[in-house]
Amino acid sequence: MKRILVIDDAATVRMYHRNILEAADYVVEEAVNGIEALEKALIQKMDLYLVDINMPKLDGYGFLRRLRSEDMEQAPAIMVSTEAAPEDQRLAFQSGANLYLIKPIKPAQLLSHVRMLLGEAAQ
Amino acid sequence: MALIRALQNPSEETFGHIGEREKLLLDLDDSDPAKRRWAARDLLGHAEVSVPLLARLNSEQDLSVREVILTSLTRIGDQDAVTGLVDCLRSEDAALRNEAIEAMQSLPEAVGPMMQGLLADTNADLRIFAVNILESLRHPDVEAWLIAVIETDRHVNVCATAVDLLAEVGTPASRAALLGLKARFADEPYIQFAADLSLRRIDAH
Amino acid sequence: MRTDKNDITDDDFQKFREYFYRKTGIDFDLAKRYFVDRRLLERIEATNSGSFRTYFNKLRLEASGLELQQLTNLMTINETYFAREEYQFEALVNSLLPDLIKRKTDTKPIRIWCIPSSSGEEAYTVAMFLLERWPGINKWDVEIISSDIDTGILIKARAGRYSARAVHHLPRAWLQKYFRPIKDEFQISDELREAVEFTRVNLAAPADTRSYRNFDVIFCRNLLIYFDDVSRKAAAETFFDALNPGGFLCLGHSESMSRISSIYTVRKFPSAIVYQKPLESR
Repeated sequence: MKRILVIDDAATVRMYHRNILEAADYVVEEAVNGIEALEKALIQKMDLYLVDINMPKLDGYGFLRRLRSEDMEQAPAIMVSTEAAPEDQRLAFQSGANLYLIKPIKPAQLLSHVRMLLGEAAQ
Repeated sequence: MALIRALQNPSEETFGHIGEREKLLLDLDDSDPAKRRWAARDLLGHAEVSVPLLARLNSEQDLSVREVILTSLTRIGDQDAVTGLVDCLRSEDAALRNEAIEAMQSLPEAVGPMMQGLLADTNADLRIFAVNILESLRHPDVEAWLIAVIETDRHVNVCATAVDLLAEVGTPASRAALLGLKARFADEPYIQFAADLSLRRIDAH
Repeated sequence: MRTDKNDITDDDFQKFREYFYRKTGIDFDLAKRYFVDRRLLERIEATNSGSFRTYFNKLRLEASGLELQQLTNLMTINETYFAREEYQFEALVNSLLPDLIKRKTDTKPIRIWCIPSSSGEEAYTVAMFLLERWPGINKWDVEIISSDIDTGILIKARAGRYSARAVHHLPRAWLQKYFRPIKDEFQISDELREAVEFTRVNLAAPADTRSYRNFDVIFCRNLLIYFDDVSRKAAAETFFDALNPGGFLCLGHSESMSRISSIYTVRKFPSAIVYQKPLESR
């Protein structure tokens, strides 16, 4: 079963994403910020990251940059933002995101992107 | 070789010029980040240092120095410090914005008077940041402000941030506003989910 | 619906769980319900709050953070003993020291700081691990400094007299080699007592910490969790200046830099997550 790390400082947002992903049989891990996310990613292999941008201590960009510089097997990352500014998108991809979404994300949309990034058949 | 007894933790070489404000201000711009960190720390013992600390913060590239400056500003917590931190919310630098929010969460009393202005800012990101700061604010109007946000703010993510906080601090006073929000964003599953969660927690009392 | 004010409802528990996880990184799953509820009720009563709601607001909004510290104290296990959280000493000898030696370009002693010292168990454990489990001790000098704010406990630490309970986790061979029994207690050897420098330090006072520099490894386990947010961050910053570039900081088992600071690099070694002052930093 594929493991997805949901990274957001808001508990409700994490819960919302967890419900959607677990209903589709993914295993979900959580982290409140980029540092905790790094720790979890170093301890356990993740298949995908769903990462918010604005978080305390280490934000989404910082997390991805540090993650991508680690000598470990890398996994795709969906960066989630509240804004759609073009420079933010560019920065997201530069940091190492594979996809950039604006929240709130609808369930079907999230699942479709997740499946695509994990190389799974569409449903 | 072996375990050897350290001699009273020797270090004739210490940092900082304790007690010399002008020297510290110079060190704040030194090329050595360790000197800058110690200057930022030692300036705490002096008056009227928020402005130079903020000036340095806005050009400081070294994360470790920025952190020490922010810790000092948090400890000072005067009007200058808070005004400067609010200005950081408008920075292009995402990391600095987040660091400023964090500092302000430790200064709820000082930020309180500015809250209404922030919640009415034309920039949605700033309103989101303002709601984030409410989390640690001890103020009788916190719930009223959150209710006002979810009743009037047009931006879905500002409302989402407010609903999220209501899950933790909401009382029955929020009930009507939450139901209204659900109606307003009827086609947003996240808002439905978050509002339902808050309602459930409110009704549990 | 239960309306008994002496109950912690499911929603109360979730609220508390989310809040506590956000503040400390410690997550209580449902299996810990009884453990958590009992302690919450204890604090609700002790603070005359009357209800969870009132207590929770007090907890969230108290400027000093004292109640959160008190509650954290209650929720975490505070025993000190030799070889506590042993995996970190394993990491020290198997991973951290080899890593440091690989990069070492001088012959100065390796410096290790254990703070708080409490009654010395940690510092003496480090000493034993170095002597027993690190081949490099035959080639390199190591200085161990251990500090505490409490002068009374420092006296105990220097004396090195321990209960059977405190030495319970040590291998028998080490107990026989480094301790001698005195009545129902154990006295640590002079060799080890002389190997550790115990000093008085208030971690929150720059005047005290200013001269603590050039450390290669710092152990600060189960102390910061009791600090408020700002003090915790300040302590992490103090340690940053106390470390050499590339030096390591080890926190307690349930502690994480994620609630403290992002200035360190997160390093994963086979037996532990450890924080490193970036090599390129000063």
